Amino acid sequence: MDSIEIKGLNKFYGKKQALYNIDLSIKQGMFGLLGRNGAGKTTLMKTLATLLQKQDGEIIVCGVPVENAKEIRRIIGYLPQEFSMYPSMKVKEAMEYLAILSGLNKPEREERIDGLLKKVNLTEHCSKKVKALSGGMKRRLGIAQALLNNPKVLIVDEPTAGLDPEERVRFRNLLSEIAEDKIVILSTHIVGDIEATCEDIAIINEGRVIYNGTINKLLQSAEGKVFTIVVPKKELPKWKQQLSITSMHTQGNEVYIRFIADTVIQGAKVCEPNIEDAYMLYLHTSGVRDILSEGEIGGAW
Amino acid sequence: MLLIKEIKKIVKSISYLIFVAAIVIGLYSQDVFHFNEQLLQEPQPGGRYGFKHEEIPEIIMPAALSDLWAEFSANNYRTYPIGFIKYIKLNESKNRKMAEILSEITGNKVEVILQEGKAAFDNPDNVTFEIGGDTMQQDSNGGFIINSDSKPQDNVGRIMLKVRGDMDYSRFKELMGLADSLLGGGSNYASDSLTRYGSVPLTYEEAKERYNLAINSDQVTGGYARLFSDYAGVMVMPILPVFLAVILCMKDQRSKMEALIYTKKISAGKLVLIRYLALVIAAMAPVVILSYLSNIMVWASYSGIKLDYFAPLKYDFGWLLPSVMISIAIGMALTELTGIPIAVAVQGLWWMFDVNLGIKTVSSGYSLFRLAPRHNAGAGSWFRTQDYLENFQNLVQNRLLFVGISLLLVMFTILIYKEKREGKFSGNVSFKKAVSNIRNCKN
Repeated sequence: MDSIEIKGLNKFYGKKQALYNIDLSIKQGMFGLLGRNGAGKTTLMKTLATLLQKQDGEIIVCGVPVENAKEIRRIIGYLPQEFSMYPSMKVKEAMEYLAILSGLNKPEREERIDGLLKKVNLTEHCSKKVKALSGGMKRRLGIAQALLNNPKVLIVDEPTAGLDPEERVRFRNLLSEIAEDKIVILSTHIVGDIEATCEDIAIINEGRVIYNGTINKLLQSAEGKVFTIVVPKKELPKWKQQLSITSMHTQGNEVYIRFIADTVIQGAKVCEPNIEDAYMLYLHTSGVRDILSEGEIGGAW
Repeated sequence: MLLIKEIKKIVKSISYLIFVAAIVIGLYSQDVFHFNEQLLQEPQPGGRYGFKHEEIPEIIMPAALSDLWAEFSANNYRTYPIGFIKYIKLNESKNRKMAEILSEITGNKVEVILQEGKAAFDNPDNVTFEIGGDTMQQDSNGGFIINSDSKPQDNVGRIMLKVRGDMDYSRFKELMGLADSLLGGGSNYASDSLTRYGSVPLTYEEAKERYNLAINSDQVTGGYARLFSDYAGVMVMPILPVFLAVILCMKDQRSKMEALIYTKKISAGKLVLIRYLALVIAAMAPVVILSYLSNIMVWASYSGIKLDYFAPLKYDFGWLLPSVMISIAIGMALTELTGIPIAVAVQGLWWMFDVNLGIKTVSSGYSLFRLAPRHNAGAGSWFRTQDYLENFQNLVQNRLLFVGISLLLVMFTILIYKEKREGKFSGNVSFKKAVSNIRNCKN
């Protein structure tokens, strides 16, 4: 029963379709939902969190149809992409307030709030006002509030956006810890977040699921399709037009290029794919070429 | 517990401090903290006891006529069509129609009225009015002097304006109604305003009866509490609470808390009701305290007289609470519906029109749809308790109506909140887009 089953889900905003026939089965543990900004991740998250109505299809969360919003709210915790709390409230006050809204009685509140603040490492900041917290602390507070009702399902939407690397690592570890006995759905456009935490993932693009499976299978599917080549710097524009580049860096007059292709080209060497390569490959095969050719994504390798 | 949290959220904000300060300043400006300077005086035989208004045709008709003549001769009429004062100047054709009305009332020919009207404006001494057996002459300032002893010795070159002896009062009222219509309504000649001309002095017995009612029925403090409610009801309570409601409702949006709260277990009905209750309590708290502060100041001045120590509380909840309830309900409903603080403008306009519409009934006004009922009577007029008691039923109907509308609006707010929470309604987005488009057009 501790699973989320999504079948044939469609969602429209007016005449514009945001989700196309989504089928997903999500089991206990961390589940990564990867996709570009505007791919439909937040729409899917909000639909799961009862904040949006689905047009058709079926969503069953731990045996409860999503239409039963009252019951769903009892078993889910949600951390939205953009959130904050009343800035003048102290951390513990804000938690108390949200705990009351979650229907916890006084003994439950006392026990749960202290435990959660400890878990997210905010105990020593519990008397601080929310507005005095750093971005990372606010996110951790966001996770703590989402766990107030001890949910079976935790939905976190783009939780690491804007965090510094140290906070990001801390946050990923926290999510992995929570996922030991819950379903945690992590929606992000940052490949590193998924790579570090998830076993099962789905890639969503333009409202469609273009991959659903394990990280290993994703990597396997990219084997033999990722190459490196070293080219003179002045020839870079020509290569940019020819190749689907996932990353590159310059050394002197030479440029080291990493790219994806169906077949090897002269002078290139096959290399071990990483998640980012595999993700790019799926986007590429889905017709998303612009981000690859323009080199928007990529970095050192 | 949630109720206490919501109240704390409201009262621990700068906006609440400003709200309280505005109430204090608003009421202080009306002298409600100096009621001990206006104490009830037992009427003594042979004194003057003020006036009352009664529908006595013999008094109303000549007084109204003299007023109409003064305005006709100056062709400058004062009206309150939607509350605000408006001066009307009639064109030639309407001026003639007004002269026809005056002609029918006085029996003078229309041409004479027109001619003398102009002349009277230039030289008011040329006109003499007759009230009963006395004469009343317009002075150079437009005022009137009643001469009880002297009869006009020489009427040559003067017009004698008096109501025709055979003028029926109902026809007179019809003619005054026509005059009011010519002026576009809202004049002193409207049927509901004519009794204002029927001003007669109070007798000793009447004054004594008023005093006794203030002592026995109001138990003194009731009169002061009512006067406090009159000021608070018109000056602050129908408008200020809307600010609190708008600020609280927009707080979730501004703090990006909406999604966090929407996904919590609490039902929309419970949350909206508790927030409404918290707002009402927060808004009423300073009023209750101030009403007692105002009332308590007179207690020592009436030692030996039985006082009603709960009077302020009765008037706070009976008179002021419905005004607070409607103001907050409108604030919540419109803010949840639109996502913008439009309720402040809506409530502000309603309040402004209500106050100004009732400008002619400042002393007492209890009509069903009045946002701020009036009973402006202090100790000097022995609180006009009888007047209040006679209109009590109207007041109750008015207050109950506002409570009912408030509760309907709260139910509407719950519905909107529930729909927004489940993503079924995004009216606020549409409103914001519309406002944004208007701004863009202006730029």
